[in-house]
Amino acid sequence: MNPVLRNLVRKGPPKPKAIDRFIASSSFPLVDGTDVTFVYRGPAKEVFLRCWIAGINTAQPLQRLNGTDLWAITIELPENSRIEYKFEIVDDGLRELRLDPLNPVIAQDPFGANSVCQGYGYQRPVWTEHDHESREGTVEDLDFRSKSFREQRKVQVYLPARYKANRRFPLLVVHDGEDYLRFAALKTVLDNLIHRLEIPPMIVAMTTPGNRTREYTASERHADFVVGELLPAMAENYPLVDDVNARGIMGASLGGVASLHAAWKNPGIFGSLLLQSGSFAFSDFGTHERGPVFNPVVRFMNEFRENPGQPGTKIYMSCGIYESLIYENRSLVPRLQAAGVNVRFEEARDAHNWENWRDRLRNGLSWLFPGPVWMVYE
Amino acid sequence: MANIFVLGPQRPDVNLGLALGKLGDEVKLAVISAGWQEGEGDLEALQEIAGRSLVELQLYHRAEALMAKDQWLKERYRERQEKLIELQRLYRIRLSRYMQAARDLLVDDGNPALLRHEQREAISQQRALDRHHIRKITAINAEFSSQLADRPSTELDDVRAEINEQLADCGTVLITGGNVAVLLNRLQLFDLGSALANKDIVAWSAGAMVLTDKIVLFHDNTPEGHRDAEVFNEGLGLIGESVFLPDAKHRLKTDDRIGVALFSRRFAPASCMALDNGAMLHFKDGGMLEASGVRRLVRNGNLRKVSKV
Repeated sequence: MNPVLRNLVRKGPPKPKAIDRFIASSSFPLVDGTDVTFVYRGPAKEVFLRCWIAGINTAQPLQRLNGTDLWAITIELPENSRIEYKFEIVDDGLRELRLDPLNPVIAQDPFGANSVCQGYGYQRPVWTEHDHESREGTVEDLDFRSKSFREQRKVQVYLPARYKANRRFPLLVVHDGEDYLRFAALKTVLDNLIHRLEIPPMIVAMTTPGNRTREYTASERHADFVVGELLPAMAENYPLVDDVNARGIMGASLGGVASLHAAWKNPGIFGSLLLQSGSFAFSDFGTHERGPVFNPVVRFMNEFRENPGQPGTKIYMSCGIYESLIYENRSLVPRLQAAGVNVRFEEARDAHNWENWRDRLRNGLSWLFPGPVWMVYE
Repeated sequence: MANIFVLGPQRPDVNLGLALGKLGDEVKLAVISAGWQEGEGDLEALQEIAGRSLVELQLYHRAEALMAKDQWLKERYRERQEKLIELQRLYRIRLSRYMQAARDLLVDDGNPALLRHEQREAISQQRALDRHHIRKITAINAEFSSQLADRPSTELDDVRAEINEQLADCGTVLITGGNVAVLLNRLQLFDLGSALANKDIVAWSAGAMVLTDKIVLFHDNTPEGHRDAEVFNEGLGLIGESVFLPDAKHRLKTDDRIGVALFSRRFAPASCMALDNGAMLHFKDGGMLEASGVRRLVRNGNLRKVSKV
């Protein structure tokens, strides 16, 4: 048990005022080295910790502290870990998932929000937060008619600070661009890394899918859209460096699959790939267990693993060790290396979420697009 | 004798106007913004601060145009650059070992009487390597210069003459920050050292670095982590015994006392000066007249405010 909690209950059940004081004077969850104690206060029949960590029970019961309305559980969490969680409260026959009311740190995602446990040693990277010294780029919309999807498509385009139409810039295509902007602070990260000279000023095309599970699951139509429609539209409207090494593509989860697939179908188009927690499901034999949505992904990945070709010259991959996809990602690295691709793979003590992807952006972007940080003194 | 004002980065606060104010409002200003590369000549912001028109010497674009036309020059230039790049790579191999050894000895807690001597020796080896490196660079630069000098009258001479003519009309030269290698290469190509020696100069960041006799590249916080500071090239030598460290607040781990001490001792007797935003140094007749907002790295590992020398 956490020592502060142990102290609270050492002389028997504490009075409510003592619990109030304990709560007011503590930060939750209680982090004591690699022991992390989650605490819930309130009436309930049962309380569970729901954290999405592959390999451990995802619903762990909290224990009620005798004679109190406090519930607690201690888990071991390795240094520098960051996990997202909720409490599942069972009362009156109802089950409800709730944010941790004692923890103000939350992470947003397309499905809502989760509480965040920042394990011992974890610190949010400063370059993910607004820096008043960084010059700010802008985001504007580019609308064009897609023949592949037979509808109007909107792309959000990031233009770096000090953008000039008479200079040329590298291009990065981002899948799930709107989510990267909202949940992974992509604009702030770009502003900061460009300001720090860690990446060059670049133009970023942020796409958002119509039907994600169709378009991002190794869809030919999507690959055609990216290379046959998006790239020409960008080249027509913005000053881009016309060189494969100045062109990158990135995405997370199924967005990683969409990136790899588009690059693989069109070799020589993208020099750099940034793939985060790619849903690279495959089957060595027989079928797979990820559901029918993954059928085209598994077909593609099986084919890709047989014949990786040269989807790019440099590929940065990252994956959380608390997500089930770590196996698929790890096993892809040697295949790419054997195909002669320059691969950098980073594992994080985090799971399948946007803040994990946010925290890896500096390493990925600055490796794929190194800036002039060593030579430029502004 | 000319005045030289050395400033820190002009962001977020600008103190260029303050320096210009000390030189008088009437004087005509030339600008060297070659460090901005393709951005050379984007002078709107500077013009607003200066409050008068500026003469951009266009060293970057002039060099690009010359190289495009003069194949011989382009080849010799490329040869020199390749030699310098290779030399830097070779220097780096020894540098990392020497730096690690010096650092290890500075944190060692062995017999003090023996240790002090070993520490001194390690730093002395480091200094010898830096001296050796700069000698090799000087030789490569000299070879390039003599190749240019041996050539009969060329377009390069014409461009040099044009630049000198433009410069002759201007009392003060502004040298901006930017890519220090690009800036230095253009200054060397057009042989501007002696012409600038007679001018008042206001320079910041990379512009300040090229005025010294030894340019030191540094950054403790790159995405790849710490990199050992490297002697990069000889500068114009208009300011002696100084190593300028622009934006040290962000680039240097100033709380790393061992690193600061090593930096200071490695380049002594030169003063290693942190030029952060707002910093200003005023030199005249080879001496420092005024200093504000500048800190010096000292051998005990601290940074000390620089006051007038």
